Amino acid sequence: MAGPALIPAGDFRTSYAADTTIFPTTTSRNFAIAGVLLLCLAPQFFSGYWLSILIQIGIFSIAALGLNILVGFTGQISIGHAAFFLLGAFTSAYISNNAPIPVFFAIPLAGLVTALVGLIFGIPAARLKGLYLVIATLAAQYILLDFFSRAEWFSGGSVPASANPFSIFGYTLRGDKQYFYVVLAYVLASFILVTNLMRTRDGRALVAIRDHYLSAEIMGINLTKYRTLSFGLAAFFAGIAGALYAHYQLVVSQEGFGIERSILFLAMIIIGGTGSIMGTLMGTAFVVLLPEGMEFISHYLKGGAVDKALSLNTNITFLREIAIGVIIIAFLMFEPDGLAHRWRQIKAYWKLYPFSH
Amino acid sequence: MTIKSLLSTASLAFVIAAFSAGAQAQIAIGHLADYSGGTSDVGTPYGQAVADTFAWVNKNGGVGGKQLNVDTNDYGYQVPRAIALYKKWSAPDGKVAAIMGWGTADTEALTGFLAQDKIPDLSGSYAAALTDPEGVSGKAKPAPYNFFYGPSYSDSLRAMLIWAAEDWKAKGKSGKPKFVHMGANHPYPNAPKAAGEAMAQELGFEVLPPLVFALTPGDYSAQCLSLKSSGANYAYLGNTAASNISVMKACKTAGVEIQFLGNVWGMDENAAKTAGDAANGVIFPLRTAVSWGGDAPGIKTVMEISKISDPSGKVYRPVHYIAAVCSALYMKEALDWAAKNGGATGENVAKGFYQKKDWVPAGMEGVCNPSTWTDKDHRGTLKVDLYRTKVSGATDGDLNDLMAKGTIKLEKVKTVELPRKAELLGW
Repeated sequence: MAGPALIPAGDFRTSYAADTTIFPTTTSRNFAIAGVLLLCLAPQFFSGYWLSILIQIGIFSIAALGLNILVGFTGQISIGHAAFFLLGAFTSAYISNNAPIPVFFAIPLAGLVTALVGLIFGIPAARLKGLYLVIATLAAQYILLDFFSRAEWFSGGSVPASANPFSIFGYTLRGDKQYFYVVLAYVLASFILVTNLMRTRDGRALVAIRDHYLSAEIMGINLTKYRTLSFGLAAFFAGIAGALYAHYQLVVSQEGFGIERSILFLAMIIIGGTGSIMGTLMGTAFVVLLPEGMEFISHYLKGGAVDKALSLNTNITFLREIAIGVIIIAFLMFEPDGLAHRWRQIKAYWKLYPFSH
Repeated sequence: MTIKSLLSTASLAFVIAAFSAGAQAQIAIGHLADYSGGTSDVGTPYGQAVADTFAWVNKNGGVGGKQLNVDTNDYGYQVPRAIALYKKWSAPDGKVAAIMGWGTADTEALTGFLAQDKIPDLSGSYAAALTDPEGVSGKAKPAPYNFFYGPSYSDSLRAMLIWAAEDWKAKGKSGKPKFVHMGANHPYPNAPKAAGEAMAQELGFEVLPPLVFALTPGDYSAQCLSLKSSGANYAYLGNTAASNISVMKACKTAGVEIQFLGNVWGMDENAAKTAGDAANGVIFPLRTAVSWGGDAPGIKTVMEISKISDPSGKVYRPVHYIAAVCSALYMKEALDWAAKNGGATGENVAKGFYQKKDWVPAGMEGVCNPSTWTDKDHRGTLKVDLYRTKVSGATDGDLNDLMAKGTIKLEKVKTVELPRKAELLGW
């Protein structure tokens, strides 16, 4: 688990402010600000396809960030994250369809409702560990999905529910170009919020539970409270992300949000680096881009020599799914600390270039 | 800058310009196919046929001198993936002239967007809710840009119930026959449920509570035991073939005496081969006048199209392949009309569907059933041809042989011409 604890020798701080700073150097801060400013220009230069990829990365990274609080920072596990994502999506669609509340307010409200439900599921989960916890969160996944497929008043049952476009005080945003800024704002707010959370007393309590729950308890940390809180926080970000997704797609369907999606959320943070906020974004980008890249390759293969030699035809899509699995396994074997760790190594390499050993 | 680099820049610019001009001279078509999802058993032959047909059209000169640029995508029967693809296809920089759609859930989710962006979608979903272009019936939302070839799920079920009522009398049985609707809790099997149950009641059936089974193959012994204990006589199978076979096999094992009624995607030659004698006697609607190897002038065209993906010409194509060839060729002729009348934009292509009465695509005589679409009614046809599968003997070996030897037979039992009732539009 690569965390800020791994500080190399000779790198020491002389004040508390320096110790808790978000950006270690002015250059890194300037880079981050420049990156955000560049992203603001993205809708002007990117085609609709790339913009939709960026929006997906943004939305899923918020949900993955929530899961990282739970898995990476608190040391719990959840394989029901997709259900909370979906709950946020349905809640926001339901609120904005049935109450005179603009979508602008429906999104945070959906986050709060999802957080409440997350807290409820967190109560038993906070008392369980390891495999028992996995099963408990799996139950949450199925209970919620079953609810969505039966509660026609809420989710439309088996028929996909429709969601309104993003609006605020009579002004409606239409199209990806405008919606991109909404997602960007939420991504920034979420990442700043979680980064800061990890610098507070509560954030450090979560990390203490992860590192050694017994010691944490002896030091006076209320395990049940913080574990439940962690579930609530994870659900909150899943709900926000789900709501953003609902008003992006304008249709909410429970298809594609089963256990596979929950596992995919886990894959995002494992590939990116558990316990790394920056890694969450990298892992999400990787998981979103991988199928697109494979899709591109399978399009390229279609009708080509390989296709004919193996007589793949329509089975070429299965090749894609298999390749995605293989790449993820390879990742876990050769890069177990995630992309965040690799990124740090690349940075260190260039910092010392050409004298790195 | 040297002359050489100037020249290369200029030639590069020329190549780019020529390429984009070439790209503009194409007609973009979006194609949603399910090769890996819950309906992939029937989605694969259908999707393959759509791709083959458009490739064949391109080989024979395209549409109005332009090639079709078909973007075929496997979306795994998942609504979110269909929507993501639709976003790509409706974006101003890559807008398609038409979409060849697939499932009921995704087609119904797209209906509103299609109307807004004016993109026609000829779907593999035959839900009656897609047949009401103006929403006047009040039974469904307006669906002005949705089309499909064949009778709707509801009309097919109505026709099968008419047959079932006659069958009950012909067998000289007394009392009320019992009807049960079976399928996954999903928009596609659910689409004709209310309409079918209402019709069954009208015809004097006793309607039993519906039974749920998943879209994927599985162990459905429990469902068969409920069929047995409830004493159902006629059961509608709302799922696709692979999942329906599981039910038929389980019911055969459990010794349930029941007449199964399949939907258009519920039975085909491949399914009959897999199910063996469990599939014997299933009634299902066929969307084309003949099946593979049938005797009709148009079957020659289908054979030619099939050679696109099977140059050997040896592969047996199930009923869904032929229905997809018909669907894609209707779309091709609508594109033809649009290209001649103001250009292949979505709006013109939709109008292209309204131009002919009792329309059969050129070269498909005797294969596709004559269809008529109007701007007030998108029920292309109300004629339902009912067939029965007949399986006599072991179904191992090549499907071509099995069909040639008559081990598996599709027998026509009845053609039902339903009246075009205004009150049943969109239901």
